[in-house]
Amino acid sequence: MKKYALLFLVGLMICSFAATALTKDWVKFMDSDKMLVDTTQFYKPAPWKIGFSNASISNSWRVFLQAHIQYEASIHPEIAEFYITDAQDNSTKQLADVEDLLAKGIDLLIIAPATESALNPAVEKAMDKGVPVVVVDRKVSTDAFVTYIGSSDYQMGKIMAEWMVEKLGKKGNIVCLSGIAGASCAEDRLKGAMDVFNQYPDIKVLEQQYCDWSPVVGKQVMATFIQKYPKIDGIWADSALQGSGAIEAVQEAGLPIPPVTGEDMNRYLKMWKQMGFEGVAVSFPTWQGQVAVQKAIDVLSGIPVPRNVDVPRLVITTDTLDKFVKMDQPDEYFMDSRLPEKWLPKR
Amino acid sequence: MAPMLKTTALRNVDTRDIFTRYGILIVLVALLIIAGLISPVFYRSANIANVLQQASALGVISIGQTIVILAGGIDLSVASILATSCVFAAAMMAGKNSMVIPISLFCILIGFLSGILNGLIVTKRNAPPFIVTLGTALILQGIRFVYTKGAPFGTIPPWLRVMGRGRIAFFPVSVIIFLSLAVLVAIFLKRSPYGRKVYAVGDNKRAAYLSGINVNWISMSTYILSGVFASLGGLVLAGYLGFGDNWAGKGFELDSIAAVVVGGTSLVGGSGSVAGTVIGVLLMTVVFNLVLLAGLPYQAQLIVKGLIIAGAVAFYSTLGKRD
Repeated sequence: MKKYALLFLVGLMICSFAATALTKDWVKFMDSDKMLVDTTQFYKPAPWKIGFSNASISNSWRVFLQAHIQYEASIHPEIAEFYITDAQDNSTKQLADVEDLLAKGIDLLIIAPATESALNPAVEKAMDKGVPVVVVDRKVSTDAFVTYIGSSDYQMGKIMAEWMVEKLGKKGNIVCLSGIAGASCAEDRLKGAMDVFNQYPDIKVLEQQYCDWSPVVGKQVMATFIQKYPKIDGIWADSALQGSGAIEAVQEAGLPIPPVTGEDMNRYLKMWKQMGFEGVAVSFPTWQGQVAVQKAIDVLSGIPVPRNVDVPRLVITTDTLDKFVKMDQPDEYFMDSRLPEKWLPKR
Repeated sequence: MAPMLKTTALRNVDTRDIFTRYGILIVLVALLIIAGLISPVFYRSANIANVLQQASALGVISIGQTIVILAGGIDLSVASILATSCVFAAAMMAGKNSMVIPISLFCILIGFLSGILNGLIVTKRNAPPFIVTLGTALILQGIRFVYTKGAPFGTIPPWLRVMGRGRIAFFPVSVIIFLSLAVLVAIFLKRSPYGRKVYAVGDNKRAAYLSGINVNWISMSTYILSGVFASLGGLVLAGYLGFGDNWAGKGFELDSIAAVVVGGTSLVGGSGSVAGTVIGVLLMTVVFNLVLLAGLPYQAQLIVKGLIIAGAVAFYSTLGKRD
């Protein structure tokens, strides 16, 4: 009898926990479409302590993102303390980083998660403690955040693919070079591109490889592709990081450079200008970091914020190239930047 | 009686060495045949040249790693030295040919000093090389990130680019550099008193010490050589890439150890050869190329790498058991 009673109690407890988890509302919405978040519960008088957990600064895009965040934080005197942690692309370390920041007593957490699901416990813990969470750059797969700032990777991949299809006259052979397998940016951009390519029967995707957003890997993979496929009409690269390596590989093989997609990275722009190939640059704006800080301030001030903020992207074409390329500046700079001169990563 | 024993002992060592060396050569030849079955594209001279070129930077580092492992140590800082070398080369040369020689020497100096740091702590403090060299790797990583603030800059001047991607009659320059260094070091290790001391220290440190060899100096010198080779590898990779990259050569420290092990050098030191390492490097690079030619995801390389290492270790320990 006692055993059954105990089992019943345990079962009841599990059910109640499950119920709370399932029905938990992390945030309150101001409208029935759940587009605008009510942030009155997060209001705190200034000065504030804000923490930013960065996935890493392992490539110059991420360096620029962090620079934008730091710059924006510096021009708001209401932010008394701003902490930054670097997880070196390691989800486990990032979980620990978030713990550290929470222990410091931050009023709000800005996070660029290394991977989607691994950081769910971290943001849920923060929200449970009453620390509002602003997600930027990459996503988490839980609902435990106030607002997500990003720029649609799906659109980015789609715009690049549409440009490619138009340039090739709706037929040709393409190779696809993606970033890190499993990162939401790489997967969403690829999906955007494949949805476009699948609409045209005369467009053939020869092969798709993940290049870790590394120029070395991009170059090696492209060099192999050149050997494998006698005719490559276009290169769809989700980032100029591996794209620039691929362009070099083609150049070294002595072949004419086919239409190549890229982004607002100076190296790609310089190559485009100097070699004169057909290019397009779609930016994944590094200044979304600034928007993240601005929205963070709104949250702490009790001002409603949109649930999702889509930062507009820049599309650079041959006509507008000269406005953005800077031959005398470092290759690693991202030109869709709002950083003032003294905040640029300097020699 | 004593001289006869010595000759017999030497002949036994030589036979085992040769067998291990030929063993891996047989595997390489078999792999080259399989390559043709997977994709005849592999045999095209342009592809072979590509493969060799991609092997060169790793190859140069692996030569240095061989020396360290032969003396009973291990060097995990090589990839970081390579990347730091690559970053400083791009930043300081800034595209000018006149800066190639002075800055190259500066990069080699970085490798040299890192080797001294490794060697000092390993010998004077008797610390495990695994941890010490890992620490050095992190220090260098910090240095290059602070210097570049995360965004490396500069370009590699044409002279150095020739070293990384130039061809002499269709034969890549980087391969010539790699193979010449390998031949030089191989001869040096096998024929010179220094080489013999390295083997002795790796084989039995106590016995070497008792026979009058300055074990600390030999050990330190191997780390210095490894550091120098790592920075040379960095210059070759910088020439291939054309610009600085904070993560150039990521994973090369483990790749170089894998190449050394696959080539027949024992991880505890005392036996092995640079020739084996060369074959190890070629084997691994050929396999990576095949993975791509077969259309497998680039990440499949990791699985293949692990299998090769496991296979090599099993192969060599079976050989060892026969004695």
